[in-house]
Amino acid sequence: MLLPCLIWFVVFAYVPMGGLLLAFKEFKFNAGILHSPWVGLRYFENFFAYPGAWQLVLNTIIVGLIKIVLYFPFPIILALMLNAVRRRGLKSVVQTISYLPHFLSWVVVAAFTFRILSPNDGIANQLLAWLGGSGETFFMMEEKYFYLVMFLTFVWKGIGWGSIIYLAAITNVDPTLYEAAQIDGANKWQQTVHVTLSGIRTTIGILLILDLSGLLSTGYEQNFLLRTAGNSNVADILDVYVLRTGMMQGQYGYATAVGMMQGVIGLVMVLLINKAVAKLTDREASLW
Amino acid sequence: MRAKSNTAEKIAGAVNITLLLLLCLSILLPFANILALSFNDGTDSALGGISIWPREFTWANYQEVFHNDDILQSLKISVLRTGIGTALSVLLTAMAAFALKKKTLPGRNVYMFFIVFTMLFGGGIVPYYMVLKSLYLTNTFWVYIIPALYSAWNIILMRTFFQSIDDSLEESAKIDGAGDYKVFFRIILPLSLPVLAVIGLFNAVGHWNDWYAGTFFVKDKDLYPLQTLLKQMLDSAEAMRKKMMVVYLPGDPRQNVTGESLKMATLVVATLPIVCVYPFVQRYFVKGLMIGSVKG
Repeated sequence: MLLPCLIWFVVFAYVPMGGLLLAFKEFKFNAGILHSPWVGLRYFENFFAYPGAWQLVLNTIIVGLIKIVLYFPFPIILALMLNAVRRRGLKSVVQTISYLPHFLSWVVVAAFTFRILSPNDGIANQLLAWLGGSGETFFMMEEKYFYLVMFLTFVWKGIGWGSIIYLAAITNVDPTLYEAAQIDGANKWQQTVHVTLSGIRTTIGILLILDLSGLLSTGYEQNFLLRTAGNSNVADILDVYVLRTGMMQGQYGYATAVGMMQGVIGLVMVLLINKAVAKLTDREASLW
Repeated sequence: MRAKSNTAEKIAGAVNITLLLLLCLSILLPFANILALSFNDGTDSALGGISIWPREFTWANYQEVFHNDDILQSLKISVLRTGIGTALSVLLTAMAAFALKKKTLPGRNVYMFFIVFTMLFGGGIVPYYMVLKSLYLTNTFWVYIIPALYSAWNIILMRTFFQSIDDSLEESAKIDGAGDYKVFFRIILPLSLPVLAVIGLFNAVGHWNDWYAGTFFVKDKDLYPLQTLLKQMLDSAEAMRKKMMVVYLPGDPRQNVTGESLKMATLVVATLPIVCVYPFVQRYFVKGLMIGSVKG
């Protein structure tokens, strides 16, 4: 029963890992991977010699930080906000609406983004014009707006779904703890910080790690789609670069080398964060 | 024993609700905008100023969508892959999860690690593509199905659920002489409908929304799923229009369809299934997510 599954994983997950050999070889179509000439670390050297290389690495790190660190309080905040709503009907309506964007594809979200931020006739610009601005800003073509746009759309898409688990965790916090805190004189705010937040800190830790590892596989879709000629300096991240040089330009060996570095960086980041989280939550939350 | 709400708390509560409503608006407004544009006359839209309601209502954009062969073909592909892919995937994932839940399976922990590790590290897109190519999957319909059959995440989710099914059910069936497959089909599956539904829905959404495989692993336009086609339209609204190369008689409403307005209508068509089905099934998604999170 398990057999097809194992075979599948070998074929689709582990063999490609073996394909990493490609990073060290100059790919010749007729020779295939195994027989192509070995070029050692040449591609890695090439990469670091490429003037844009450090910008790419920087972008990748920035984007990663934004998507993990900056993003991560938001679903928690939303969960806390939802938790404070007394009326059940309103709460579930808001919840339902809030997870809707999660189910849209990035293509659709990117299309929405371009449309709304379109100069002159996108709603964002119309609103700005109404408020007295110029209404002509071509947001997607300017570098300085990219991180903001990327961040906002990422939050927009993920906040609702992300809040679900937190909300569940919040409801699991022992209610008597709140009463005890109240008796000790804590007001609502203090209760929130000391009881709720620390009650869910295990969940927060796990989700942080999971988010990070999830980023490794889907982090680039958004960037790839939101990139334009105007913002490419900051929009291009390692993943996007791999896609372009590998799949679109056919430089297989080179792209694999870059991809491999990125994979290793990602793995190291996950391990480090895992360690950090394990320490912070006294070993309660960790992947293994 | 509730403390009485004082004014500060009331204000905080009101602010809270306002912010939440703003969030909802931010989600609903873009939808309204796109809908309005899709129902609006193309050349009129180009003048700008449309917000959430069409100015010059027309069906023309949709007429064009449903007459456009490219769009119809990609719709067919999307529907097919979602149906077939999801069915196969759910079945196979369930089999794997079932096998993995048994405590008596030799090497069980090794297999689990094997699977989980793939969530953390991979060969990258180029080697992946090479593997696909060497298996002759590229540029075929099956490239959408086979590589998507399993996902470590789904396996773990299902396994967690299966573990909650009482072992005694299985044991008594075994005593009665049932083999593994019988147990699986007759006992486990019927009991697992909720989790099967959830995984099925996750899978279906994944298939429906995937633009990636079509963009990089397929050359034939006839094999593009809807999202890939949409992405192309996103890249070049005017190119899409020029390709149509049909001249409409004056007075035909389709005369005024522009690349942009066609794009809007296609967007709506691409999103509609999800938006329609979504309110009814989101409860199950949420449940599924919770089941998975219990593992942590």
